[in-house]
Amino acid sequence: MSSDGTEGSVSTGRSPIIRFDHASFGFPGLIALKDISLPIYDGEFVGVIGPNGSGKTTLCRAVLGLLPPVEGHLHIFDCACSELRCHHRAQIGYLPQKGVVDRNFPVTVLETVMMGRYGALGLLKRPGKKDRQIAMDALAQVDMASHKDTALGHLSGGQQQRVFIARALAQQPKVLILDEPTTGLDITMQHNVIELVQHLHDELKLTVLLITHDINMIRSRVDRLVLLKTRLYAAGPPADVLKPEILHQVYGKELVITEKDLVIVEDYHHHH
Amino acid sequence: MLDLLAYDFMQRSLLAAAMVGGLCSIIGVFVVLRGLAFVGAGTSHAAFAGVALGYLMGWPPLLLAIVFGLATVWITGWVEERGRMKLDVSIGILYTTTMALGILFIGLMKSYNAEVYGYLFGSVLSVTPEELRIIGALSVLVLSLLLLFAKELYFIAFDQEMAEASGVPARQMFFLLLTLVALTVVVSLKTVGAILVFAMILIPASTAYQLTHSLRTLTLYSACFGITTSVVGVLISAIWDVPSGPAIVLLATAIFFAAVLFSPKRATHTGVVHSH
Repeated sequence: MSSDGTEGSVSTGRSPIIRFDHASFGFPGLIALKDISLPIYDGEFVGVIGPNGSGKTTLCRAVLGLLPPVEGHLHIFDCACSELRCHHRAQIGYLPQKGVVDRNFPVTVLETVMMGRYGALGLLKRPGKKDRQIAMDALAQVDMASHKDTALGHLSGGQQQRVFIARALAQQPKVLILDEPTTGLDITMQHNVIELVQHLHDELKLTVLLITHDINMIRSRVDRLVLLKTRLYAAGPPADVLKPEILHQVYGKELVITEKDLVIVEDYHHHH
Repeated sequence: MLDLLAYDFMQRSLLAAAMVGGLCSIIGVFVVLRGLAFVGAGTSHAAFAGVALGYLMGWPPLLLAIVFGLATVWITGWVEERGRMKLDVSIGILYTTTMALGILFIGLMKSYNAEVYGYLFGSVLSVTPEELRIIGALSVLVLSLLLLFAKELYFIAFDQEMAEASGVPARQMFFLLLTLVALTVVVSLKTVGAILVFAMILIPASTAYQLTHSLRTLTLYSACFGITTSVVGVLISAIWDVPSGPAIVLLATAIFFAAVLFSPKRATHTGVVHSH
């Protein structure tokens, strides 16, 4: 247990639900993540941070089983990544980076959340009353039940984000992966979404992997931070990771930590 | 007009038109939602090249149309999956290549063959009983598969990566959709012709898309538009002695523009629902 990844783990003694073992991802000649060793334990709330292009989304796709490692190993639920079957995938809820939703796509809020049931149901099976109930419960969790018959395209960005979280919940997942869930939302909505994620982690005992740029927003909430820039620079409790000497290695000298422990970019006001 | 309906050939063409109209407009819903419009256009030209080769070599034209159509959609799907080049580029190349092959095969024929041109421009009034049976069988096959996998196809149309991540065999479903598009194109070749078949896939679904936010209603509207325009188009074609393909497609286009003008969605574009 000497590699970076296991250092500062809050859950020693339990076996990891996801385990990277010297894993590299990408294509030969274009490696997006190199030599990652990292266990993620059941029920952990892990924040993944790093500059743009540091491999955060690659890490997501890997855990979803969409991208097998080119070197090393990745085990998810004790399965090698390449052997991950559809029913395993259904146990991982995923909120992709916010894409553009075609506002005219013929889909209601409830229909969107029902899609979360499709993978678990399998082929040739129609969703029934039970699935509908699970979807409605998921909508209630994110406080969007009253909008169930609204066209998805008619909702605001923050509301759509809640609906997509509900779709992930409708999978009744063990793991929830959120890729920059607050991007493009106003500051109140950002807090709402992060609070919702925290709530879901506490209530449903979900293992949460939250990818974000906003270190300040999550530092007091997560069990562990994972700092990436192609390699794994640090993993551990926020106080251990957010040290000037570590952050400077990854983000450069501009990033400083103020007396109140806020991470800010120096000369921020000059740039804007 | 009632006299016309007494003829065998007229009954056959109306039945063929209704089946093709219904089939095209229902698969069209998934094509429009998944953004595969150009793929279909390429497929129809590829299928035509197959027909031309069939007549040139004396092989069954519809069988070769299926082979060419399937090869085109599978190559297209494979290229998109690999992310090697943009989809519109790969289709553009296949589209023009197969069209060139089609023209080449026609050029190599010793004599003028009117039947080949029937597949290019559509000649529903000359549908034979055997062709009607093939259309019927393929229609049943395609519609059953669509119905069986409707929920997965809907999900991949909405967001393919998301579907895959949540445990739906999304790639297999994408190839199934491409295969069904190719079969639909082949089924429709004789009725509306290679050049216009794609209008039959695209226009009814796009028309319905203007009018509703529900998938069920969308599919229903699309099928209604598709069947109605096909049947009425054939009648217009028979009564006024104009080519059937253009009659069907121009009628569908007219309804499309009417739907755009009166679309309820235009009114809701600025409406964001506010909560709490």
